[in-house]
Amino acid sequence: MTLQLESLSWEQRRKLTGLLFVLPTVLFVTVFFIIPLAMTVFMSFHDWPLIGEQSWIGTTNYTELAKDRQYLKSLDFTFRYTLFVTPPIFILGFILASLVRHNIRFIGIFRTIFFLPVVIGLGVSSLLWVWMLDQRVGIFNKILLDLHLIAKPQLFLAKPTTAMNVIILSVVWKTVGFTMILLLAGLQSIPDELYESADVDGAGYFRKLFYITLPLMRRTIALALILSVIGSVLAFDQFYIITRGGPRNSTISIVYWIFNNSFTYWKMGYGAAMSIVLLGILVALTSFQYYVLREKY
Amino acid sequence: MTPRRIVFAVLIMALCIGALPLSAQDEGVTMTMWVRNIGDQVQELVDAWNDRGGSQIELTVIPPNEFVTKMGAAIAAGESPDIASIDLIYAPAFAAAGQLLDITDWVDALPYADDLIPAHSELGTYEGRKYAVPFLIEGSFIIYNKGLFEAAGLDPEAPPTTWDELLEAARAISAIGDETYGYYFAGACAGCNAFTYLPFIWASGGDVLSDDYSEATIATDPIVREALEYYRLMWEEGLIPEGASIDDGGSFVSAFGTGTIGMAGTGAFGINVYRNDHPELDLGAFHIPGKDGGAASFGGGDVIAIGSGTQHPEEAWEFLEWMMSDETQLELYAARNRTTVRVSMLENEYSKDDPLVLTAASALAVGKSPYSLVYNDLFNDPNGPWLEMIQIAILDGDIDGALQLGQDRFTQIIEG
Repeated sequence: MTLQLESLSWEQRRKLTGLLFVLPTVLFVTVFFIIPLAMTVFMSFHDWPLIGEQSWIGTTNYTELAKDRQYLKSLDFTFRYTLFVTPPIFILGFILASLVRHNIRFIGIFRTIFFLPVVIGLGVSSLLWVWMLDQRVGIFNKILLDLHLIAKPQLFLAKPTTAMNVIILSVVWKTVGFTMILLLAGLQSIPDELYESADVDGAGYFRKLFYITLPLMRRTIALALILSVIGSVLAFDQFYIITRGGPRNSTISIVYWIFNNSFTYWKMGYGAAMSIVLLGILVALTSFQYYVLREKY
Repeated sequence: MTPRRIVFAVLIMALCIGALPLSAQDEGVTMTMWVRNIGDQVQELVDAWNDRGGSQIELTVIPPNEFVTKMGAAIAAGESPDIASIDLIYAPAFAAAGQLLDITDWVDALPYADDLIPAHSELGTYEGRKYAVPFLIEGSFIIYNKGLFEAAGLDPEAPPTTWDELLEAARAISAIGDETYGYYFAGACAGCNAFTYLPFIWASGGDVLSDDYSEATIATDPIVREALEYYRLMWEEGLIPEGASIDDGGSFVSAFGTGTIGMAGTGAFGINVYRNDHPELDLGAFHIPGKDGGAASFGGGDVIAIGSGTQHPEEAWEFLEWMMSDETQLELYAARNRTTVRVSMLENEYSKDDPLVLTAASALAVGKSPYSLVYNDLFNDPNGPWLEMIQIAILDGDIDGALQLGQDRFTQIIEG
């Protein structure tokens, strides 16, 4: 091997080295993305029960989609959820990042506390919320009762609106730390000199925010928003665990519906078709976000 | 090879050889068995089997709502259990998918083959071949709190026999006050309501499916509407605690145990739970009544089957045979207040003086179990049409909307 390498020209060796460097990623992406994606596309043209024989049915799964009321309802719900959950995560994340921006004494403790919920799995945190929201032993009812804000324990999950609100609350709590860290990195990359010269010019907080901070954080904001939106469109755990899609099937997200079809109704082919459509929607959505938030020179 | 390398190689070989007898020592067969989580009964049974020596069973308990999903996924991954205790309603679907071992010859050779509980045996049969035998027998009925009946001025020995009587009893018990409620149902649990609410419809001569299960009759059968209106009335009048609306089955059994509920649907599994955990309750039981009398019950529970991929079919069948034997049925079923899998043993030395167990057993005489390959999608799915219809009608009061939605979604699922 050594001999062969030595016989290669510098250019060839450079290319080989480059190939070796990207090989792990290429393998990873092929095995965990390209092959599964190809299989999903293949499955989506089949009647593919979870157990039993599969058969080719062409585009039937896709045409069925348009007639699936719950699929459309789930799409609508998922986008409404994304619309409602993204701003609080972003704004709160930005406020927190601003608060912990400067390296002062004990600031690490606060950063850790704000980030802590992120390291808990979403499934675990959802279970935690189920328990906290309980009408008999939950801490929320206990606090509200003790503060005399409510007269009797509330059933937070009994109504679609309150169910959606508590889910949003739980997700903001769970994910805001991640957005905070992303935005913190962006904030800290802005040179202090810019703010100092703005101070000299007599700029106030909001002027600095809109003319220095936000424009210079465009890339970071784009990244934070894109990740947050993708995460929300793919939301599943919190609905599966906290509301189980209820009440009255009002909180079935799109991934939840894909899961139900694939694994509860054993219609893997149909689930695959829905996944492909969702992938298309996500690509379009992300491209749009990227376009809007692109660097303008 | 240097001496050091030789020593190293010898050590490695010794380790490998040492490991061999270890695996050979593990004589006897260990089988895997799955069951949905419905009490300790199955664990006790498996422990008794394992204590006999010989082949061993490793039991995995699955949350009831996830059984079909996990079992389907395991089968698809080629990791299905050797033995599976399956909600009898799903047996046809698993048999149809070719995942259960055909045990017709073994079953037919049993001297008591004709004595096995009919509903379960029927659900264990697919296209004339037998794939499963009865395992856990659960006919639904209503359990009631005699203490609350007395406190409400009702005769604790004369439980309701019609919808009106049940409604009056529920009103009287709720009137006691102190957070006392006449009736309970788990408002967010699909399966619980198939088990305890469908029989209200059946007992009145109605049904949500046609006789051959090929059509939905929700919008056309007037009894379905009346049954929804009946529960709606109880809900509106506050005879059912508000928390019931979000009970996804977690409090299905425990709510009645608090002693503040007058009546609640249950199955044989409830008897031991209430007796062991709440000995202070004076319990009675009656069949789920029809509108003007009559009675019905959901013939539920589990059948037990051998996975078609098992390496140990004989050992698995031995366990099934042992489970159905006279001795096991008497000592591990009857003696522990459980309904036997054999009709002739339903009345036995243990149950004959126990009105609760007798009610549970006699419920099977009026028991019915829908035979449908899409049962899960129709009734048991937490996001399925059955639960959505119940919630919209009973909790929201939109009976017309609920009936239409139920009819449409049932039809859509049945037609595939």
